Amino acid sequence: MWFETILAIGMVTSAVLAIYLKETVASVLSLSTMMILLALLYFNLNAPFAALFQLALGTGTAAIFLLAGDSLTTKRNEKTSLKTKFAIIIASAILCVPVLFGSIVTPSFMQSVELSLSETLWDLRVVDVLAQGLVVLTAALGVAILLYEERRRK
Amino acid sequence: MDYIILSVTLLAIGIVGLVTKHDLIKMLIAVEMLTAAATMNFVVFGSMMDHSLGQTFSILALSVDACVTAVALALAIAIYKKLNIRDVRELSEVKEETRVQITDSVEED
Repeated sequence: MWFETILAIGMVTSAVLAIYLKETVASVLSLSTMMILLALLYFNLNAPFAALFQLALGTGTAAIFLLAGDSLTTKRNEKTSLKTKFAIIIASAILCVPVLFGSIVTPSFMQSVELSLSETLWDLRVVDVLAQGLVVLTAALGVAILLYEERRRK
Repeated sequence: MDYIILSVTLLAIGIVGLVTKHDLIKMLIAVEMLTAAATMNFVVFGSMMDHSLGQTFSILALSVDACVTAVALALAIAIYKKLNIRDVRELSEVKEETRVQITDSVEED
């Protein structure tokens, strides 16, 4: 229980920091911290594959993309003032209260069906997996076209 | 502790960030947060049902999310290289100016 509480407080605080810190690098690092805590939460919920994907894609790839984007687009340097930092801490503390003490009554779910992840992925949701491959391919093509256009203009 | 409230809180923080921030990279960070909060529900409900379908959906959602980030970032870089703009308010002004120019040229014709 205490482990989940620490994870929840850490996630809410790093989420608020990621949004309200003015330095982009610090924001991306806060977002990465939130994603790492989310991955730990997935491990705690007995979802190791989701946790690994979260670590690889949510934490690693997204952080690299965002930092690369920040370095390729320059912006005037802004510093977060002490007043803003104090406001962020207060906002985080207020947002942590409903997370820790709130409760929603959830209905009981249908009975579980014993299936492994690979069975679910390849037997039940095979069309989704194929469609996902198509999405990844289209996205890669789109990024290549966008960046090629820029190079051609130069 | 209720995971749904945690997810809703993260979703709310993401929406507030998306609405209040004008920097393209910050808006992308907010979108990342929104998708993480939404994906979390798959894993939580899958864990409650003791079913691996939640993990499957979360894996699919995470992969698509990485694609969305890549394309959005490529667009942001393309906009910056062309217009030297990283702020969405300035981008709206450029859009308005372009619209006025097009309207003027149509009226002249």
